[in-house]
Amino acid sequence: MDAAWLSVFPETIRSLLLRLPEQLLKELEEVRIREERPLEINAGGRFYFLKADGGLTVNAREAVRTGREESHRLLDLITNHSVYTMEEELRKGFITLPGGHRMGLSGRTVLSKGRVEHIRDISGFNLRIAREVKGAADSVLPHLLDIRGKSVLHTLIVSPPQQGKTTLLRDLARAISSGSFGPAREKWPGLKVAIIDERSEIAGSRKGVPSFDVGPRTDVMDGCPKAEGIMMMIRSMSPDVIMVDEIGRPEDAVALVEALHAGVRVIATAHGKGIGSGAALSPLLAEMAGGKLFQRFVSLSRGEHGFRFRVFDGEQKPLL
Amino acid sequence: MLKMLGAIMILLAGTVAGWIQARRFAARPGEIRRLILSLQRLETEIGYGFIPLPEALRRIGAQNREPLKKLFTDAADAMEAPRSWTAQDSMHHALKANWSNTSMKTPEREVLYQLAFTLGTSDRTSQKSHIQSAVRALETEEAQALEEQSRYEKMSRSLGLLVGAFIVILIY
Repeated sequence: MDAAWLSVFPETIRSLLLRLPEQLLKELEEVRIREERPLEINAGGRFYFLKADGGLTVNAREAVRTGREESHRLLDLITNHSVYTMEEELRKGFITLPGGHRMGLSGRTVLSKGRVEHIRDISGFNLRIAREVKGAADSVLPHLLDIRGKSVLHTLIVSPPQQGKTTLLRDLARAISSGSFGPAREKWPGLKVAIIDERSEIAGSRKGVPSFDVGPRTDVMDGCPKAEGIMMMIRSMSPDVIMVDEIGRPEDAVALVEALHAGVRVIATAHGKGIGSGAALSPLLAEMAGGKLFQRFVSLSRGEHGFRFRVFDGEQKPLL
Repeated sequence: MLKMLGAIMILLAGTVAGWIQARRFAARPGEIRRLILSLQRLETEIGYGFIPLPEALRRIGAQNREPLKKLFTDAADAMEAPRSWTAQDSMHHALKANWSNTSMKTPEREVLYQLAFTLGTSDRTSQKSHIQSAVRALETEEAQALEEQSRYEKMSRSLGLLVGAFIVILIY
């Protein structure tokens, strides 16, 4: 089983996690460590605390607690003993680990001119385990096709956190880039895909090389601010499709408009809930969504029976 | 005849002991200076190079002579897999294992020991200020070591011979 992410934990925590049933370990989504509080894991949309003997419980009082020493060790390990090389990451509040996994951090912030400069006294960790789900995009893709252009439509994928946006985006990139996205009977060639991976989550790049399969014709600009990255990619890599994760700042909108005018297709994701009536989007996103920039909207949700999605057209009317 | 031989051996031993002691006095300021330069190099690697700590220590080790070389590379080794100790534990371990090979004394060791608690655990500005304060502490020790050298180096050399002679006289 591939569990390279286990090696980021100090021995005490790792041995507890290794005692979990294999099935659970495979489905593990999050490992949460909070100093002086119970060790928590999330799997399949449910949460458990770990007991000292490796058993599971939902009763916080029976759970094993992690101490100062463990959080100190954990931080030391995930930063390669060099917190100072992670200043940018600490400003953003998370660190990307080998394999595209992401360690969220919380603690006490240090401000400079009213902006977060740094997090110190880090006491809360949340490892989000990234998993490649090949075929995650299969059911969504047919709704996003531009039949005449043999390409894809401008699409915005909206969902609350942890509903599979990034997984879907990654698989879309793989499918479009490898040419397995056209209608069943036709054979469309793969397109040049450019991913602006600001948080190193889509491709999980290490030293510039993607750790996930994002397709053979895909270029990744890793750790790059989205707006700037979009412009750089248009200028330098002549992409057919640009993919960005979690848009939402004013400059992102400007860059997206630029990309649309350059004839590049855009697939983007954003935090939010729903589309059309009853949607909960940030004002800026709502403006972008209403501005006829996008031709398709996909809203994701996750229930008891796995992922569900709905597709809307450019007018935000439901198609599915 | 045998007595004579014994006396010569005692004299020789005294002289050698004196020389060794003198060498320690002579070597200490030089080692402290090299340690200071190494820490300044570390400051540059951290402050401007964003080089991760194990890599930075390895580079500094490679540039140094023994015994400092081993001090730094040992610390880097302990930080990396398979041991993957914390920066603090690795430095403390390396100090423990290698300090007796240096001519430096407890105050210098204490400076590095204290520095190990903060090494790698904060942002660049604070790392730089921690290293700078360690460098300042070492500079004070260096001044003192130079003074001790000028005062005691020659003295311990002659003292060794004299103590040897004294023992010989007592025995005779």
